[in-house]
Amino acid sequence: MNEQITNLWSVPLLIMIPILTAIMVNLLYNKTRAIRVLSTGAALAVLAVAVVSPYGFHWFAGHPAVNSDGVYTFTASIFSLKLSLEYYYGPLQQILIAVMSLLLLFVVVIANKSFDKNYGPYIAIVFLTYVSAAAVLMTNDFYNLWIAVELGSLLVAGLVASSGTGYAQKAALKYTFFSALAGSGLAISLGLILGITGYANITDAINFLMTNDLGGMYAVLYVAFAFLTLAWIYAGGLIPVHPLKSDVYRSAFPHATVLLQTQSKLMLVAIGIVLLRMFGALPFAREVMLSISVLTMIVGIVMALIQTDFRWTLAYIIVSHSGLVTVGLSLGTYQGIVGGLFQAVNDIVYMSILLLCCEMLLYFGKGTSIKFNGGIAKKSPWLAAFVILGAFAASGIPPFNGFQSELIIIQAALAQSLPEVAAVVLMVSVSTFIALFRAIYSIFLKPGEDYPVGQAESKRFEIPATVFVFLLVLLAISFVLGVYPQLALGFLTESALKVVFVPWVP
Amino acid sequence: MIEISLQLLGFIAATILVVVGIAGMLFLDNLIKKLIAFTLLSDGVNLALVSLGYVQGGIVPILEPGASISEFPDRAALIFGPGIVLTNIVIGVSTTAILAALIVALYKRYGSLKASKVLKGERE
Repeated sequence: MNEQITNLWSVPLLIMIPILTAIMVNLLYNKTRAIRVLSTGAALAVLAVAVVSPYGFHWFAGHPAVNSDGVYTFTASIFSLKLSLEYYYGPLQQILIAVMSLLLLFVVVIANKSFDKNYGPYIAIVFLTYVSAAAVLMTNDFYNLWIAVELGSLLVAGLVASSGTGYAQKAALKYTFFSALAGSGLAISLGLILGITGYANITDAINFLMTNDLGGMYAVLYVAFAFLTLAWIYAGGLIPVHPLKSDVYRSAFPHATVLLQTQSKLMLVAIGIVLLRMFGALPFAREVMLSISVLTMIVGIVMALIQTDFRWTLAYIIVSHSGLVTVGLSLGTYQGIVGGLFQAVNDIVYMSILLLCCEMLLYFGKGTSIKFNGGIAKKSPWLAAFVILGAFAASGIPPFNGFQSELIIIQAALAQSLPEVAAVVLMVSVSTFIALFRAIYSIFLKPGEDYPVGQAESKRFEIPATVFVFLLVLLAISFVLGVYPQLALGFLTESALKVVFVPWVP
Repeated sequence: MIEISLQLLGFIAATILVVVGIAGMLFLDNLIKKLIAFTLLSDGVNLALVSLGYVQGGIVPILEPGASISEFPDRAALIFGPGIVLTNIVIGVSTTAILAALIVALYKRYGSLKASKVLKGERE
C-alpha cells in the first residue's frame, strides 16, 4: 500500500472549527446576538470547507515510515510502534459531511430562532455532535473511532436532555447507561485488535490479518467482531437497542432529531464499512450483520404502524430505515454497498423534511398526536404539501430519491439470491407509506374538530420564511437525486469498490 | 507451588469486575448503585487493557540511554493498553458526570432514586 503524504488542510478545519465554536458559544452563554453570528458563520464555514476540500489523508498523531520519495510502505514482517492515527477525506466523506453540514446550518438557524436566552451550551452540543459524526466517518484508526463514538453517545444524551422534559431526561439516562456498556465493549474490542495485530490503524490491522496466520487467535478475533458489532448496533439504534434510540429521537426537539438521525446514519455507515473491511471475510460475519439489519427493518416498521403520535411514528421509521441502510452494506457486494450508502444519503434528506414538518406542528402549537389533530392542510397547505412529498420520498415513490436507493438494494439482494430480503425491503417501503399516511391523514387531511373544513374564519398557520426555504431546499435535493441519482452515486462508487476489492485502503 | 502469571490474574480480576459491574447495572434498582456499578465495569475494562500489555519480565516501554535496542522490542510492555486506559479514564469520568447530572435532575423531578419508579415508561 502506497499513499501520498498529503496532510490535508481541510480535515483539521472540519474538526477544529466546530470545537472552537462550541467552546466560544458556551462561554458567550447568554449573549444572543454574538451566539447567532458566530454559530451561523461557523456552520457556513464548515459547509464551505466540506464542499471545496480536496481528497487526501491527515495524520493527527504519529506518522508512518516514510520513504525518500514521499510514500510510506507497509511491511508486515516488521513490527513497529507507529501510531498512525489517521483521517481520510474522500468522495464518500465529502457527500455525507456536506449534507450533514447543510443540515447543521439549518439546525443552528432554527435553534437561533427558537431560543432567545441561555442557549449557548445547547448550540455547543449541536456543534460537538456534528464533530463526533464527522470524525467517525473520516477516521481510519480504531482509537479515534472509539473516542468519537463515545463522545457522540454522550452528546446524544446532552442534546436529548436539553429539551428539558422528564421523558427526555429518562431517555437520556437510559441511553447513557447503555452507552456505558457498549462503549466499554468497544474499548475491549480495540484492546483485542491491538493485542492480535499490534496496530491501531485499521489499514495496518487489515494488512496484518491478510498476511499472517492467526492460528488459535481467530476466536479472539470473533470476540473483537462481536464487541464492535455491539457498538455498531448501539450507535445506529439497531435491534435490540431500537427502543432506546426511538425514545431519543422522539424526546429531542425535532430539529435536534434531524442532527441525531444524521449522526446515527453516519455512524452506521462508518462502523459498518469498518466491520466489512476488517471482518467481512470471516465466516458468518456478514450473515450476522444482515440478520440484525433485516430484524431492525421489520421491528421498526411494525412499531411505526401502531403509534398514535407523529413523532413516535417518525422515530420508528428512522429506526426501520437504519436497517435499510445496513441491509445494503451487509450484503457486502459492490451493488449492495452502493445501495446502502445511497440510502443513507437519501434517508438523511427525506427524514429531515418530515422532522422539520413535525417541528412546524409543534411551532403552531397543535401537537403531534394523531388522535386530537386534524385540519392542518386547510390552515397550512404548504406544510401539508411538504409533508406529503416527504412521505412520498420516504416510501420510495418516484421521482423522489428514496425510490432509487431502495431499487438498488432490492436489485442487490436479488443478485445475491436473497429474494426474501428484497421482499422485506418492499414490505418496509409499503408499510412506511401506510404508517406515514395514516398519521398525515389524521393530522393534515381530516377535517379538524376546532376548525372544520369550510369555516371561513379559520386562522392560517404561516411557516417561517427560513424553515420554508430549508424545506424547499431539502425537497429539491430529494427530487434532483431521484431524477439524477448519478449526482450522488458518483461520490459513492469509489468507496464501495474499495470495500469489496481493496479493503485495506480507506 | 502453582504458578499463575500476573497477566492471567489481571484478566481474572478484570472479568470479575466487568461481570459484577454489568450485573449491578442491569439488576440493581437504585440509580446511584447503578452508577457505582458502571465505575466497576469501567475499572474492569481498564484492568483488562493494562493486563493485555503485560510482558513477563518486561521493562517500562521507554528507551533509556544505554539500554539494549535489540532487547527492547521483546521486553518492552505493550504501550497501547495503558494509552487507551488513560483515555478510557477520561471518558469514564465524563460518562459518570453526565449520568450523575441526569440522576440529580430526575431525583428533583420525581423525588426517588428507584429506577423502577423513575424510569417507568409513560408518554408525556
